[in-house]
Amino acid sequence: MDRRTFLEMLVGFSAGAGTGFMLTPVNWKLMDDVSIWTQEVWPDFFAGIPERGKVTHADSVCDLCPGGCGITVRKVEDRVTKIEGREGYPVNNGGICPLGASGLQLLYGPWRVPSPVRRAGKRGAKAWEQITWEDAIGDVVKRLSDLRRKGKTDSVACVVASDQGTVPQLFSRFMKAYGSPNLIRAASAEDTNELAMKLMQGKKASVAYDLEGADFILSFGSGLIEGWGSPVRVIQAHSKWRSDKNRATVIQIEPRLSNTAAKADKWHPIKPGTETALALGLAHVIIKESLYDIYFIRNNTYGFNDWRAMVMAQYSPEAVSRTTGLSAENIVKLARAFAKARRPLAVWGRGKGTTPGCLYECMAVHSLNALVGNINKPGGVWARPPQVATNRWPSVKQDSAARTGNSKPRLDGAGTRQYPLVSSRPDELPGIINKRPGAIQVLLVHEADPYYSTMDSSAMAEAFDKIPFVVSFSTYFDETAQHADLILPNHHYLERFEDVPTPIGLPKPVLGLRKPVVSPQFNTRYAGDTLMAIASRLGGTVAQSFPWKDYVILLKQTLGGKWDALKKTGYFTAASFGTPLGKFEFYAKAYEPVEAEGDSETYPLTLIPVELMRLAHGAIGNPPFCTKTLEETELKGNDLFVEVNPKTAGDYGLAEGRYATLETPRGKAKVLVHLSEGIMPGLVGMPKGLGHTGYDDYLAGKGASANSLMGVVEDPISGLCATWGIQAKLSSV
Amino acid sequence: MSTTEEKEQTVEEQAEEHGPVYAAYKPAKSRGWRFLIPIAAFGVGFVSHLFLGWVIFPHLLYGKKQQPIDFSHQLHQEAADESCESCHFFREDGSFSGVPKLENCLQCHEEPMGESPEEAKFITEYVEPGKEIPWHVYARQPQCAFFSHAAHVKVAELECVTCHGPVGDSDHTRPYQYNRLTRYSRDIWGWNIAGLKKKTSDRMKMDDCAECHEERKGHKDACFVCHK
Amino acid sequence: MKEVHQDNKRHGKTYKYGMVVDLDKCTGCGACMVACMAENNLPFRKENTNDRLTQNFWMRVYKISNGLSFPDTEICYIPRPCQHCEGRGHHHGTPCVSVCPATATDYSHETGIVSQIYTRCFGCRYCMAACPYHVRVFNWWDPRWPKGMNKSLNPDVSVRMRGVVEKCSFCYHRLQRARNKAYAEGRRELHEDEYQTACTQACPAGAITFGDLDNQKHKVYNLKDNPYAFRLLEKLGTNPKVYYLSTKDWARKAGEVFVGNEGRG
Repeated sequence: MDRRTFLEMLVGFSAGAGTGFMLTPVNWKLMDDVSIWTQEVWPDFFAGIPERGKVTHADSVCDLCPGGCGITVRKVEDRVTKIEGREGYPVNNGGICPLGASGLQLLYGPWRVPSPVRRAGKRGAKAWEQITWEDAIGDVVKRLSDLRRKGKTDSVACVVASDQGTVPQLFSRFMKAYGSPNLIRAASAEDTNELAMKLMQGKKASVAYDLEGADFILSFGSGLIEGWGSPVRVIQAHSKWRSDKNRATVIQIEPRLSNTAAKADKWHPIKPGTETALALGLAHVIIKESLYDIYFIRNNTYGFNDWRAMVMAQYSPEAVSRTTGLSAENIVKLARAFAKARRPLAVWGRGKGTTPGCLYECMAVHSLNALVGNINKPGGVWARPPQVATNRWPSVKQDSAARTGNSKPRLDGAGTRQYPLVSSRPDELPGIINKRPGAIQVLLVHEADPYYSTMDSSAMAEAFDKIPFVVSFSTYFDETAQHADLILPNHHYLERFEDVPTPIGLPKPVLGLRKPVVSPQFNTRYAGDTLMAIASRLGGTVAQSFPWKDYVILLKQTLGGKWDALKKTGYFTAASFGTPLGKFEFYAKAYEPVEAEGDSETYPLTLIPVELMRLAHGAIGNPPFCTKTLEETELKGNDLFVEVNPKTAGDYGLAEGRYATLETPRGKAKVLVHLSEGIMPGLVGMPKGLGHTGYDDYLAGKGASANSLMGVVEDPISGLCATWGIQAKLSSV
Repeated sequence: MSTTEEKEQTVEEQAEEHGPVYAAYKPAKSRGWRFLIPIAAFGVGFVSHLFLGWVIFPHLLYGKKQQPIDFSHQLHQEAADESCESCHFFREDGSFSGVPKLENCLQCHEEPMGESPEEAKFITEYVEPGKEIPWHVYARQPQCAFFSHAAHVKVAELECVTCHGPVGDSDHTRPYQYNRLTRYSRDIWGWNIAGLKKKTSDRMKMDDCAECHEERKGHKDACFVCHK
Repeated sequence: MKEVHQDNKRHGKTYKYGMVVDLDKCTGCGACMVACMAENNLPFRKENTNDRLTQNFWMRVYKISNGLSFPDTEICYIPRPCQHCEGRGHHHGTPCVSVCPATATDYSHETGIVSQIYTRCFGCRYCMAACPYHVRVFNWWDPRWPKGMNKSLNPDVSVRMRGVVEKCSFCYHRLQRARNKAYAEGRRELHEDEYQTACTQACPAGAITFGDLDNQKHKVYNLKDNPYAFRLLEKLGTNPKVYYLSTKDWARKAGEVFVGNEGRG
């Protein structure tokens, strides 16, 4: 074949091939297929688009804060795809908060502890070895029985989130049977509320506010719509106050323009830490103008005369104006408005109510309610018994080792002569351990994250190094779990049964039942079962104290007759607690301000934490969806903003959006500066809930933790941590 | 003229020097059949590529799988006297159940009902271990599409066969062919590689939906009616 | 108007879904944003998690201030979904629809909802430039979820691929879902509560009301005529279907655009 023939054939063939090909469907078919590939296969490669299927709904109760909201999950086959507020639930009736709605991220996220794990590297190095439950429980039992043999049972401490409900009570029972008095309840405003109830009304009770029934709400720094109390319930009450039917006036006393202050009818910024003085100042005006409920005072109170004498002598509007920074005229106006309202209500509990705060402040605010006779009546304050009654457990069996251990004084001094009023002092933990290394040999932690949420993080970190064995029952790799030696993961709250005691601050009893809505995603166990397995392996009276086969059986027996109804409806409720009105006692004690730590020479500004609805700051890390909702003036990239008044910024040469160093006697952090007209001059507001180091990269490494800059200031009466701020220095970089 | 002659000479000289490459420029002797070469080549190319595109290409594009169980719709409809709705039903929320789950099968097949080897296989491989049958779904639509069976069956009163064809009469499951690129069933594009269809059930592409919507509703409908 | 009316007739029964947000009740808690993200498979990222320019929000809560200095500052939160502008009707004046070269976004006369078809969009982002409310966001990244988290994805909503624009759909899939149920029960009409958006359902304050603006029985019908009602940038003539209520004069004023000395004083 010559070249010409070759070329002719080639050209001919190509032309034929081309023409032929154009007459086949290959081109447009492939074009169609490739476009479908880009739409379907490509994103699926990244996202793993899940299958459609049968949709079902299941009810349960949220566990992410003490609010106890009812939730309904939407499931597609065996996957949970959405968490919604449960319609008709007596706490939240269909509403949900951003944290609750993000719960699935916690369920399916990479921050879950997949199985029992043992530390494989240095503490906090995030190196873990997966082990069997048998081995894991063996590890704990070995430590605990060694200590028992040595007669050092009281060197075991346990931190729990609450002291109500079967699971915390199981921990408490375990400690009693084992022989240690050192059960520590995580700090909250409830500590102080309960104490105030005990002192002023002689009751072991918690405080409940009838927010829905009040028509004048005077809030002393409570973040009513920032997650205070049972968050959805309070936000719903706020909507009622804004409706024509139940209109109420809301006054917010707070140094910063929080959401609550923004939504209030009037915002009165005062110097932080002077709330007690203001409450007493208002009382002064109310008494002076005879606006108080004489009938109630005469019939239901003690100690009014002494208290009146003190208030009249020391808290004139002018004096209080000097202390608080609020004008005397405003004080008088406010006092009159409060006392003349039909159902006025003074509420207490700073921010979300996660810090104990100042006891005397709480009592002064509560005295205002007594002054207007608003105790145990609609629209008022109720003394609420701890929880709905359930079946009692058999008494704890104790051997001599347990009895000896239990008779030793608590490490935090709670209940001793020095701190007779309180039952635990959680914020003292780092101080105690650092002073007395070896005092705690084993630390058990359940549903709390003391490593992150205790004030003065660096002291806590130091203390952790001094505890030889830390066991976490956490579902997530939170900070405490990351620094534990062993993690015995609890089921996620969507995977388990649990009783939910009446949510914080609610004036009617509601007992909820948390139900598993999805099968356990990992090799986890009920914390109750783990604890009972430990007890059983310890043997003797410890084992005998836990006669139940497993946690669910225990729960059934405890709820007794209520179990069936609870399983069906998910909650039990009654009209009211029906607590009789006891006598109210006024405490005539001069106000002792709780000062912020640090000298104002070196640290001329005052740092206050800013608590946000969109930012969880307790034991639960803020899920990515919530972090995503933060304002751009709160977090930018991995840096958080502190808020300062432009006037303060001018004084210290700070500018909007610029980096600065924030320093307190307890720590230092690099921050960005945001100028805001919504904060008092001289203050620095710092969002609380950032700066996580646990979980994983989605949660950790964003901003700094406010707790790392704060210290513990002891309340002069209760001995609890009354810290509301700290002196600070802010210098531009 | 002279320049041309010079050029020709130059070419011939070059041809002598460099061989046959330049010889090709010489006028060829007339050969009458030569013109057939490119035509034949064209023909070969044309036919081979037609063949490639129409016959080989579908084989390359589509993979083939057998259904895990050879299911007889006919048997179930006739012998068991079942209608489509007993297995393909609407759920309470109005969604359509589609391919039945094992639990539906178990309503009858707790114990073997016949002697078919396929049923025996079904019992041992799926019923006993409690495993769902991984059916390949011929009519599965892409994830960007929303299809409401309720709207079509209950409101527009379409017959199942309008879109699905006479599946109910089949005695054996036909092999499932899937597009290797898109992962979807060949039934979506239709079995004709050109996308031609004779009846409504031959294709399940968007245009086919729109065609019917236009016919019945007078317009093709808004995008969101079917897209999600 | 006449033209629209005829158009409606041809389409059969039409609805005009819209929203009224009570800014006096809105606490800025952010539950609507999270509920929306969870419902509509919105992605989230490790880096710049809350960056408003690059991270996708369908519902976003804006925080505005009256601009006065301490202590007279006031704040108002404005939740902002897609406004589903009706414009002058008939595909005119819905800013995004009129510029889309791919017909990937469309105004439906049957529902009053502005659709966004991700598989049709090729990412030119004209619509983002055209939208005066910044409701449209672009997918800068492939839809990646940490391992295991794809289990929480909602199969009723497409997962969007990189390179396309997305926006709030008034939870259109919930309308599809509700219709499905109604059809299966032999109904053609939906009850007011059967079709509610995720944000409406989640809002703990009950600040969001959703329904058919043309239906006298729906709550939104009367709410939109409230003397305190306003719409964002009303002067632009976009004719949005999201109404806001606020008793604060400055907040109502902030929702409008002013030129020169208009609106002062």
